[in-house]
Amino acid sequence: MNNQVLLEPIGKDEYELFFGPAHPGSGNFSVKLKVDGEIVTSARANPGYLHRGFEKLMEYRLPIQNAVLSDRICILESLNWNLIHAEAVDELMGIEIPERAKYIRVILAELSRIQSHIIWFGVFSIGIGFDTGFKMAFGYRDYILDLFEMITGGRVYSAGYICPGGVRRDLPKGAEEKILNVLDKINEMVKLEEMGNPALSARAKGVGVLKLEDAIRLGATGPLLRAAGMRVDVRKEDPYEVYDKLDFDIPVRKEGDAYARYMIGIEEIKQSMKIVKQALKDMPKGEHIAPQFKKPKLNMKIPEGEVYVRNEGGRGEVAIHMVSDGSAEPYRVKIRGPSFLHMISVLEFLLKGVQIADVPAVYWSLNICPADLDR
Amino acid sequence: MKGNLKNEEQLLKEIVSNYNVEGKIQREKRVWINTDKENLISICKFAKEKGFEHLSSISVTDWIKEGEYEITYHLWSYEKKVLLTIKIRISRKNPSAPSVSSIWDRNAQIHEREMHEMFGVEFKGNDDLAPLFLDDWQGLPPFRKDFDWREYVKKEFYNKDNEREVVYRE
Amino acid sequence: MKKESSKKKSMKKIIKAIWIFNWFNSCGFCELVPVVGSRWDMERFGMIVVGSPRHADVLFISGYQTLKSIKVAQRIYEQMPDPKVVLALGSCTMTGGMYWDSYNTIKRLDDYLPVTMYIPGCPPRPEAVFEACSKIFQHVKEME
Repeated sequence: MNNQVLLEPIGKDEYELFFGPAHPGSGNFSVKLKVDGEIVTSARANPGYLHRGFEKLMEYRLPIQNAVLSDRICILESLNWNLIHAEAVDELMGIEIPERAKYIRVILAELSRIQSHIIWFGVFSIGIGFDTGFKMAFGYRDYILDLFEMITGGRVYSAGYICPGGVRRDLPKGAEEKILNVLDKINEMVKLEEMGNPALSARAKGVGVLKLEDAIRLGATGPLLRAAGMRVDVRKEDPYEVYDKLDFDIPVRKEGDAYARYMIGIEEIKQSMKIVKQALKDMPKGEHIAPQFKKPKLNMKIPEGEVYVRNEGGRGEVAIHMVSDGSAEPYRVKIRGPSFLHMISVLEFLLKGVQIADVPAVYWSLNICPADLDR
Repeated sequence: MKGNLKNEEQLLKEIVSNYNVEGKIQREKRVWINTDKENLISICKFAKEKGFEHLSSISVTDWIKEGEYEITYHLWSYEKKVLLTIKIRISRKNPSAPSVSSIWDRNAQIHEREMHEMFGVEFKGNDDLAPLFLDDWQGLPPFRKDFDWREYVKKEFYNKDNEREVVYRE
Repeated sequence: MKKESSKKKSMKKIIKAIWIFNWFNSCGFCELVPVVGSRWDMERFGMIVVGSPRHADVLFISGYQTLKSIKVAQRIYEQMPDPKVVLALGSCTMTGGMYWDSYNTIKRLDDYLPVTMYIPGCPPRPEAVFEACSKIFQHVKEME
């Protein structure tokens, strides 16, 4: 008798997999995947776990209170969001900021960008299964958090240090040597990362390829465009603060896969370190805050008008559209976060045709922050 | 900032000569235009041909005293390095506007989906306006000016029997 | 010797080692991950992070919860086997915190889940998390 077991294909065998918020490979964000065997056929993003309604919360508060609230838009790079909110209010009110304050703002924003890229490596490594990368990244990140604590008073949230008009306090004594020491330590970490690790490159090369035309059509910005071959950076095209006086390069790669994005992240850390060193050398002496804000009056009215400011965050283009009708609180604040487009349109496009095992690698290589998606 | 506004002036002249709109140059790299709902799609197509391939964001402002919604479209051109903002006004009762997703694809479609959920604007031509952040939200679209959050929170979340909170409510 | 209640007997089992479920939500994410990381290494105390709620003893609610995510947290809590402990981090779990006037966040965690201990701070430092864990051990010893 024939004891063979015949396995016949029954037909399209699709089922739905919920890659949810409590999965160790994701975080606060879920994706509904339709899977056929091992291959994903379609994906639908399901955000909203962190929606607090920042845009309307800001309408109830004065700008000086909003400066404290604006750190919390995305915890992973809080000083960059602090900076863009302060810039929007400064431009609406027409305030001239002293030069020294601009340099201090740039130093803190770049340190925050370095710290955010380090988190990116840490979680990217753990998503792929390379635990050593995670421990290394979070170990070195703590040096920068100690610096923040010394300068602004808080490890992750600086309580509105970069406020409209300048910065709240000047740099303490000895801050400059400490910053240079920390940058040497980060340099060590970058050398270790650059050595290249076979486990990481095998799982990241060729995965999640995003070409330039698709990237522009889907609204991607920042490192995703740079990894696809376009040399673009808001700090060079639409300069703000003192970036037009500083000298730095923009790293570009052509492949557009997860490994290219990872290498661009490492290059950006090196460029940020170069910017911090130049800014420390060129920083003039002077005031740290504009004179009308030294003792702010609580009901300073914002003149009527609207502005749109754009900055380069660690993840892409960050923008705020602020409208005022002449009262003390802003009338409407619209916050554009880079992850809004990356997590919905780019992710759904990239996850088609990928194996389930590669889903965390694609997902984490986009450097997402669910908090600035939901706001 | 440097005073060379040639790019911006040329752009404004081209748009004003082709369409009957008002515009102004706010500062370097920022050009703002006011137009109306009927001309929106043709101006957007014109802008896209001129190199404005990146739609930065779409936002809605609720001018409740005037009874209108103002929709703003922010466009950035990578070659000209100028930001062009197009503003239109629609009525607050049954708000609807044509969708620009035929021009800027998924980028525009997702921004419009969020504005539909938060302000209730119907975008004609956008095929996917399902809610994005909230599940089963039955009330008014949350970002409208007539929905007061502090009143809502006092009613829904604070407990009348808790003595600590009763003091606050008075 | 006083007879130990069955609850104390079952809670004493926790104090051998605490296994935390991986629900790193909201703002606490940024200060809980260094607790796992190499500077404030928590593995030397026997605490590890597990991926399934069926293996976990402790659920950290590390910050504000929205109406959508509290439903997920409740389902996770129900899947955890006894004895279990819920630790609430941050001021958002006590009074609503910075987002007290938001329509989508919850104002008191106590209305949704039984909380064992609150850890104040915005966000609380990693040392505060360790002190809270050591207070759990003390709480179990003093329990009757």
